[in-house]
Amino acid sequence: MENEFIHLVDALPGLVWTAFADGTIDFLNRRWCEYTGVEVGDAYARGWQAAIHPEDLPWLIERWRSILASAQPGEMEARLRRFDGEYRWFLFRMSPMADASGQVVKWCGVNTDIQHRRQAEDDDTLKRSEARKAAILDSALDCIVTIDHEGRITEFNPAAERTFGYRRNEVLGRHLAGVIVPPSLRERHQRGLARYLTTGEAQVIGRRVEMTAMRADGSEFPVELAIARIALDGPPSFTGYLRDITARRRAEEKLRRSEACLAEAQKLSRTGSFGWSVSSDEHFWSDETFRIFEYDPSTKVTMQLLLDRALAQDIPLIRQAVALAAEGRDLDYECRFMMPSGALKHLHIVAHGQRNQNGRLEYIGAVQDVTARRLSEEALGRVRSELAHVARVTSLGALTASIAHEVNQPLSGIITNASTCLRMLAADPPNVDGARETARRTIRDGNRAADVITRLRALFAKKAATSESLDLNEAAREVIALSRSELQRGRVNLRTELADGLPAITGDRVQLQQVILNLLLNAADAMIGVDDRPRQLVIRTEREEGERVRLTVEDAGVGFDSQDTEKLFDAFYTTKAGGMGIGLSVSRSIIESHQGRLWAAPNEGSGAVFSFSIPRRPESLAAPHSLGGVSTPAARDAEHFMENL
Amino acid sequence: MVIRSLVSVVDDDESVRESLPDLLREFGFAVQAFSSAEEFLESDCVGQTRCLILDIAMPGMTGPELQQELTLRGQAIPIVFITAQGDETTRPRVLGQGAVECLFKPFSDTALLGALNSAFRVA
Repeated sequence: MENEFIHLVDALPGLVWTAFADGTIDFLNRRWCEYTGVEVGDAYARGWQAAIHPEDLPWLIERWRSILASAQPGEMEARLRRFDGEYRWFLFRMSPMADASGQVVKWCGVNTDIQHRRQAEDDDTLKRSEARKAAILDSALDCIVTIDHEGRITEFNPAAERTFGYRRNEVLGRHLAGVIVPPSLRERHQRGLARYLTTGEAQVIGRRVEMTAMRADGSEFPVELAIARIALDGPPSFTGYLRDITARRRAEEKLRRSEACLAEAQKLSRTGSFGWSVSSDEHFWSDETFRIFEYDPSTKVTMQLLLDRALAQDIPLIRQAVALAAEGRDLDYECRFMMPSGALKHLHIVAHGQRNQNGRLEYIGAVQDVTARRLSEEALGRVRSELAHVARVTSLGALTASIAHEVNQPLSGIITNASTCLRMLAADPPNVDGARETARRTIRDGNRAADVITRLRALFAKKAATSESLDLNEAAREVIALSRSELQRGRVNLRTELADGLPAITGDRVQLQQVILNLLLNAADAMIGVDDRPRQLVIRTEREEGERVRLTVEDAGVGFDSQDTEKLFDAFYTTKAGGMGIGLSVSRSIIESHQGRLWAAPNEGSGAVFSFSIPRRPESLAAPHSLGGVSTPAARDAEHFMENL
Repeated sequence: MVIRSLVSVVDDDESVRESLPDLLREFGFAVQAFSSAEEFLESDCVGQTRCLILDIAMPGMTGPELQQELTLRGQAIPIVFITAQGDETTRPRVLGQGAVECLFKPFSDTALLGALNSAFRVA
């Protein structure tokens, strides 16, 4: 029976086997042994394992163990070696046999050839994988070109087609060197490939490099290239990822040029730029800014760098600017800095503050070295003030000389005639006729002297004011613009508080501007010696009750004694070493001719406040009289005077 | 007959030309008055003039220019300058250039007489 059974099993057209409960194979049918070429005697115990694909064996055993443990039917797939050495996929199915008590006593198994099914599945997986790869290749934005070990193109994706201007079919199988490598680089390319193939030494593989590629039309362009070796058996092949970086290069070049340009412009104009994030106190300085402050560009920038270089007197100015910056106000100030070499630099600093996306305050600014300009301005200013002084002295001298000349001539005649007259009367006998004649001439010369005085007065009276509609703010702004350099030289901090919507007034623009100029320069002069407080000058305009406008100039200067208030306006009263003492007297007479009032008061703290108030429309613009008429420069008066006499 | 010394007056101002000659005649001099330096140079009085009373500032040739011209011509006439515009620098300047005296208008008869005495002492 046993033998009959074995014969039966051996005759089955399938691979059948049995095992003990512990999994040890105790029987393999003849078909199994014939198929695998394993001798029946060798196959039992572990001998059958020789027929299993080595890769599949470990997990096959693993799986067999878990099925044994489960005591349930199970199956698994593995490759079995045919007698001729070919491996084919088999399905291993096995079921337990139990005794009456339910204890497993044996396992029976059948192996079925499933090579066709596996083949079909593999083909399908492959196809899908291929399709996925093709989709990646097709949709890639980068050019993807693969080559074999001889440098022949095996793949050329649509991006490559677009970039290089070739159809895929035209280039497949061609040498890469002849297609996209410019002639000048071909030899190098081939050498590199040959070297890699013989020595494995790679210069471009696995890195991102930039090089020049060539289009179908022969034009060359820059590309970024990454080459990877394809990990497959057999001769090496490579994938190249190329990206046209013409636009990036162009942008980089533009940026580089623009940066170079900016650096050169900064150098030429001696203007540096800087950035400052107020809350984090982070600073950025351009190279020129470092050069201007004479710091090494590697220095870490802090506000202290500025303070270290600043002139002691100007440090409050910087602190004030920093305080303004905390409020987000724009900065525009000029400061002096002492370089380690001992050179003094005048730097003009402007900055604009704005909030970044995070709401943090950031300043972008420029610092310009204005030393040369400032020095020449100072020199010019000195020359100008010397000149003005000389002109004032000489023109007044010329005026008095011409007055003296015109008056002295008739006086000379009067005295000479009178002397002659006396002598003629004293003669014996007296020369009465001669005396009468000389007395007559004395009278005539006396009249002539009187005429001179009359003409002089007529000349001064002729200085009629011209009346026009004018904007006091605009007139003040013009004066400020004119005197800006004078005020800067005096390191005066000017604040303007010009009222909006100030009504137009009627008056003599030039005369009123002379008054404003006089008040501004007086204020600046009064602060020349002030070093313990800011040289603050305020010019203010405002509308007054009763159709009047007022202009006020405040200074923080030496001020004046209140008992001297009225004396200030006297002609030839001056507290200034170089002053003539006529400015305020002329100013008051101009304001009075506009039916206005000019007065002085002590400033709160220190200094003086000068104000004038004038009606919008004076009833008639009276000609200023007496000294007030001498409102134009004395030199011009002297000229008129000479012409008129 | 007494030959009176000739004093010439050169001044562009008419009051001077009218008043001064009378006073000089009272002093006892012969007087000729000219309104410009050019007029004086063209006259035949140059050689006979013993003293020249000369205004400094005149249109055309000025007083000092006339002085220079006379020196060039070898005419050593004592000169008393008169001026209505002088300042403190005028007198030392003209005296340095050889004038006998410099009077500022208006001047007194005694000052004039003093200057003339100096002039004739020089001569």
